[in-house]
Order: sequence, then structure tokens, then C-alpha cells
Amino acid sequence: MNTAAPAGSKTRVISNTTIAWIAAIAALTLVNWYCLGIVEEEFTGILPYGVAYWFGNVLDVLLAVLTIGTAIRVGLRENVGKIWLLVGLAVAAYTVGDIVFTIIDLHLGQDPYPSLADVFYTLEYVFLFWAMMRAIRSYRALVPLTTPGIIAAAFGVLGVAIIYTQLLATYIFPSASETGFWGTLVSTFYPVGDIVLMLVPAIMLALVIRQLGAGRLGWPWWIVVASSFVLAVADAAYSYRDWAGLPGSSLLDSGWVVSLALLAIASLVARDVYRSR
Amino acid sequence: MALISAKGSFVATFRDHVVSTLAPYVGQAVADTCVRATALSLGKTTDTLATDDFPILENNVRRLLGPVAPSNVIADLLHTIERGS
Repeated sequence: MNTAAPAGSKTRVISNTTIAWIAAIAALTLVNWYCLGIVEEEFTGILPYGVAYWFGNVLDVLLAVLTIGTAIRVGLRENVGKIWLLVGLAVAAYTVGDIVFTIIDLHLGQDPYPSLADVFYTLEYVFLFWAMMRAIRSYRALVPLTTPGIIAAAFGVLGVAIIYTQLLATYIFPSASETGFWGTLVSTFYPVGDIVLMLVPAIMLALVIRQLGAGRLGWPWWIVVASSFVLAVADAAYSYRDWAGLPGSSLLDSGWVVSLALLAIASLVARDVYRSR
Repeated sequence: MALISAKGSFVATFRDHVVSTLAPYVGQAVADTCVRATALSLGKTTDTLATDDFPILENNVRRLLGPVAPSNVIADLLHTIERGS
């Protein structure tokens, strides 16, 4: 267990270990971006394509282990430990989804969409939504939640309206006979989930944490908010690009892993913030 | 009575000492909330809070910060408040 020292003493909050991890995660995420470029380009054999796929999967596993490891170190009896476990489970769910996707697509040569992978991708949304709502609720005795809730809900209604007009009504619903029930369901869930399960709680969390000012307990949650924005934008943009028949972008595709990387970094920052000094 | 803040400088009142201890973690506004909640439960104003009110403050800090911070951090903050008072 951590040993106590005076709160607010002038020791640096973010440790050298965390800074080193952030640098390593950033470097690995850049390599993954390069690998996604390989996936987007025409490929000549299984090796570079497979390496690119599996590099991303191994990176996902590392990020999941880091995030869940932090939750365990914070302590699963603590409310904050349970919240970080939910964040870790979100990263783990995406990781399993990616591995299943890779096996179906790369090794079995089947269409991975929709597939078992989507069950795990969906679980990421559920766990992250759960974590953010639980984090928001934790502050109910300290800051008002009603106004942040109303503002976030207003953004949610606007976002769903945009998704409906630009994506659902334009592309997805008219193609329902071709994509089938599950295809339509999954295609509808992702963009709507990006708004309802990611953007809305992220906006509300941001408005709640904003009330802490520079208070360090809010630092990791700002990174979680950033991660949710990146995930929502990357995923919604991917859906639009895919349905509108626009060309691929490795930068956009790297949004998912950047989102996971931010969650892992948030957990590392949380570990430092929660450390007694 | 002069108190020593978490940053090592002298502060005027118990209220200031508590706020300066909690603020680096939860921000000024939430730190004020913790102090106000304690004063309210005692039927006092924040400026008339005294070191004798520490047990009630401790209960309030544990109740309010318990969901958002691990117990080691809360114990650490309370220790700093108590030591400074």
C-alpha cells in the first residue's frame, strides 16, 4: 500500500514511469498508424497484411493489461477502482473484438461484418458508458449534475438527428433488404451508440469535471473524455465514409487505437493522482 | 491562531487551511463545498469553523470524497488537515 506524505507537497504528480509509458504508447500508436497504411494499400502477400493486423491486436492487449492492471492497483474495493475496472473491461472487450475480427477476416477468409466480433465491440460501448455514468454519479454530492445532463442530452438529440438524416435515412435504412436484419441492426447501433453511449456521457462528464477546476482528481477523466470523443468521431466518420463510398484513411482508422491508448494513459495518470505523497 | 497550509505557508483560518489542503485534489469550489457542508451541519458559518470541528469535517470529507478518491488519498488529506490544525 502507498505510504502517506503531506498532501499538496511539491512532489511532481505525474511520475517518470507514467511519462515513459506515455512515450512508449505514443510511439507504438504511430507504428500502428503506419501498419494501418499497409492494410489500406494493395498488398502482395499475407505477411505484411497479417503483421499489420496482429501488431494492432498486440498493442490492444498491452493497453488492456495496463488499464486493468491500474484498476487492480487502485483497489477493486474502492469505488474509483471499480470504475477503472469498467474502463479496463471496455478496452479488453474491444481487444477481443479485434482479435475475433482478425481471425474471421484474415485467417478464415470470411466476411467479418456483422459477426461475433461485433458482440465484443458493442460491449466496449456498454462498459465505457457504464464507467462514465458511474464516474459522473460519484460527484453527485459535490457538484450539480442537472445542467450538465440537460446540455449533454441536447447535444445527444442534435447528434442523433444528424446521424439519422445523414446516415440512417440516407444509406442504412434504404439498404436494409440487402444487409439483412443483423447487418442493419449493427450498422444502426454503431453511429447511434457513438452519440448516445459515447458523446452524451463524455459531454456530461466534461461538464461535471470542469467544476473541479484544476483539481487533480479530474485529470484522468479529461483524458477519458478525449478518448470518447476520438472514438465517437472515428467510428461515426468510418460509418459515413463506408456507406458513402468514400476512400479509406489510415489516420481515421487509427482513431480506435488512439482512443484505447488514451484510456490506458488516463488509467496511468489516475494511478499517479491516487498515489499518496 | 495561525495555521500552516498544505503548501507550507501560513493561513488565517481553519477554513482556509482545509480549502488549501483539499483544493489541489478537488478544486477550490468543491473544497469550499466540503467546508460549507461541515459548517451547515454544525449550524455555523465557514469563518467560525474551528479546529475542534475536525471530527465533523472528517465525516463530511469521507462522505463527500469517498466515491471519487481512494481511501489512502482521503486519509492522507485528513492527516494533513489534522496535523496543520
